[in-house]
Amino acid sequence: MAAGVAAWLPFARAAAIGWMPVASAPMPPPPREKRRGQDGLIILNVSGTRFQTWRNTLERYPDTLLGSTERDFFFHEETNEYFFDRDPDIFRHILNFYRTGKLHYPRHECISAYDEELAFFGIIPEIIGDCCYEEYKDRRRENTERIQDDEENENNNDLVLPEMSFRESMWRAFENPHTSTMALVFYYVTGFFIAVSVMANVVETVPCSSGPNRAKEVSCGERYALAFFCLDTACVMIFTVEYLLRLIAAPSRYKFVKSVMSIIDVVAIMPYYIGLVMTDNEDVSGAFVTLRVFRVFRIFKFSRHSAGLRILGYTLKSCASELGFLLFSLTMAIIIFATVMFYAEKGSSATKFTSIPAAFWYTIVTMTTLGYGDMVPKTIMGKIFGSVCSLSGVLVIALPVPVIVSNFSRIYHQSQRAEKRRAQKKTRLARIRATKSSGANAYLQYKRNGMLADAEEEASKEAGQSLVCKTNPTFETQHHHLLHCLEKTTNHEFVDEQTYETNCMEVSLTKPSMSRSSSLSSSPHGLSSCCTRRNKRKSFNVSNSNMVGGRRGSIQELSTIQIRERPMSNSRSSLNAKFEETVPLNSEEQSYITAAVISMPTPPVTTPEGGDSVSSHDFLQSNIVRVSAL
Amino acid sequence: MGAVVGTLTMQTRQRQPSRDKVDDELEMTMVCHRPEGLEQLEAQTNFTKQELQVLYRGFKNECPSGVVNEETFKHIYAQFFPHGDASTYAHYLFNAFDTRNNGSIKFEDFVMGLSTLLRGTVREKLEWTFYLYDINRDGFINKEEMTEIVRAIYDMMGKYTYPALKGDVPKQHVDAFFVKMDKNKDGVVTLEEFVIACQEDENMMRSMQLFENVM
Repeated sequence: MAAGVAAWLPFARAAAIGWMPVASAPMPPPPREKRRGQDGLIILNVSGTRFQTWRNTLERYPDTLLGSTERDFFFHEETNEYFFDRDPDIFRHILNFYRTGKLHYPRHECISAYDEELAFFGIIPEIIGDCCYEEYKDRRRENTERIQDDEENENNNDLVLPEMSFRESMWRAFENPHTSTMALVFYYVTGFFIAVSVMANVVETVPCSSGPNRAKEVSCGERYALAFFCLDTACVMIFTVEYLLRLIAAPSRYKFVKSVMSIIDVVAIMPYYIGLVMTDNEDVSGAFVTLRVFRVFRIFKFSRHSAGLRILGYTLKSCASELGFLLFSLTMAIIIFATVMFYAEKGSSATKFTSIPAAFWYTIVTMTTLGYGDMVPKTIMGKIFGSVCSLSGVLVIALPVPVIVSNFSRIYHQSQRAEKRRAQKKTRLARIRATKSSGANAYLQYKRNGMLADAEEEASKEAGQSLVCKTNPTFETQHHHLLHCLEKTTNHEFVDEQTYETNCMEVSLTKPSMSRSSSLSSSPHGLSSCCTRRNKRKSFNVSNSNMVGGRRGSIQELSTIQIRERPMSNSRSSLNAKFEETVPLNSEEQSYITAAVISMPTPPVTTPEGGDSVSSHDFLQSNIVRVSAL
Repeated sequence: MGAVVGTLTMQTRQRQPSRDKVDDELEMTMVCHRPEGLEQLEAQTNFTKQELQVLYRGFKNECPSGVVNEETFKHIYAQFFPHGDASTYAHYLFNAFDTRNNGSIKFEDFVMGLSTLLRGTVREKLEWTFYLYDINRDGFINKEEMTEIVRAIYDMMGKYTYPALKGDVPKQHVDAFFVKMDKNKDGVVTLEEFVIACQEDENMMRSMQLFENVM
């Protein structure tokens, strides 16, 4: 029931009195009215903008947030109004929906913001009025396409490294040449050989100047037959190897064999092999010559290297219906005009229009405004029809072409956008990661700072950032406490992304040491583990260039820092103590190195240990060590 | 003196369409009617000011131009009875509200009618109902008129009813009605017969009281 009509319900009910005399049975009792007071004004405060409306207006749609008791959750006692912390501009449209019964979509608003508001207020978007529905649907479709595009790209460029088999990594190298140097080299080499092969095909037909003793000119191909043959062999060998490699690496061989690119590959190299197999038989040499034409298909192999070529191919495929229409209309026109021209020119003598198919050629040449001039009409009627033919040709060809052009433009711009987004993505991701990690680091920092309340001020002063730990908002404090509880529950600790990745790399590279370090839970071997770490440390690039090799040195530095800032019990012993018990101690030590932590990005850790809980302690410990070494 | 001035200032205004023919069509859609003042309506009907306000807001919302024509009226009424076809009954209802027979209901007509129905005496309600049934306004209800009304009411039920509508149910209904109402068996029902017969019927009286709290 529409909104305004609900206001007429009392009228309809009153008019029901007209049925009473006719009724044969008594009426049911009326519903009890829940008088929540008179129809009063409701104040809706949306982020400071006050909207007022009648209560009845809102209750027209009882299955939305504002029309149901759900709005009571937003009632603000002190100011006696309903407060919503949402966008007031979009709310205006939502409130108008209650008033007029029609929901409009403002064109300048972002589609996802609008959707969110609708979802919040419990209004389904299908109610959007006809005037705005088209626009809404279009924008929504665009948005989902773009999100899908992004997701696809993300999945393609995922850097999940370790567990790829050789075959998978090879396939990935083939598909994305930018992933590794080998792939890039391969990419350029094949491109070069394609170009060479095509050039050779072209050049070998050029007539080379023959010697003075020869009567006729020979083409370069015949003169330097051996050279060209060797070149051809080399190219075909490269192509064959490439094809076989792709075939091996393809995840689905059947699908690969069916794909267009593989067909082009096969067609490109087949002529050579067929030529090898066939002998210099006179009968089949004609066919052999024909086969050499197929060598030109090698040029299509360039489509792997050029995105523009792929887009062109894709456009033609997607405009198949327009192209079909073009072809069909052209054929119709050609037949019509050819017939007319034939009969028009039949009378004149020595005419070139010997048959209707012969007139086809004239029609095509005229309609495409080529006008070779090898066939011209001589009679007056012929000339008249000829001119009509050329005019209509222009029209017929000009009609479907803009559709194809606009399709191409749209697809091209889409791919441009995707490229740009991919290029910007790296910087964007890096920045997002930085902000995210600073958030995550906030917790790590908090752990180090928050443990010792009185060390805060010193540490922060030292860091020169008095803002950092001075006044933690309640929200953050509670959040950090929660994370800490989680750590305690799982006996694992939070670390940052880079260190985790470095860990992963090390896990794959230094597997044997795992067993050893896992047995290092008891501390007597602590020192030796640190020594192994030290050894490993040398083999990796660390961003902290000031890393000193040798644990002794690090301990030294640690102690010096300690001494400088705060007298403490023997730090060396604490380091030698059991690692799993050093969590509070860790934080203590960490408090000293607050300075170092704050001033630099998360330090990568070069420990070999990966996943298990104890080793994480070790790692964290070593993390501290390294940091302090700075 | 004040009353005169008051009455003079609160005239019903109606914008006349302009002379030009083309503009005529344009202006027709913008004809706006404003009702008499609130106090006046309050005096003429049995509604309070607040009730009038609520009524007018609903009325104006659905008909911004201030008048309801039959099409709109039928459309509104049909929304309440989606199962069947309410257009015939809405037509009769429209005629009952349109006391001046000019094809449109102004807010005053609307409110007057409602006042009778909801706040009127029993006699007034019965008179209104008689007026509704008497389609040709000749003072008598004959069988044809009654049959039409009853058929219109059954139309609102739609096709899917339980028990299914078999035979000429409206006709049977009308016959029963006439048996009850037509005292002197002359084939028509006058106002007096109608009122007396209705007042004798306990159920009907009780039912009529049901709708008092609609507003």
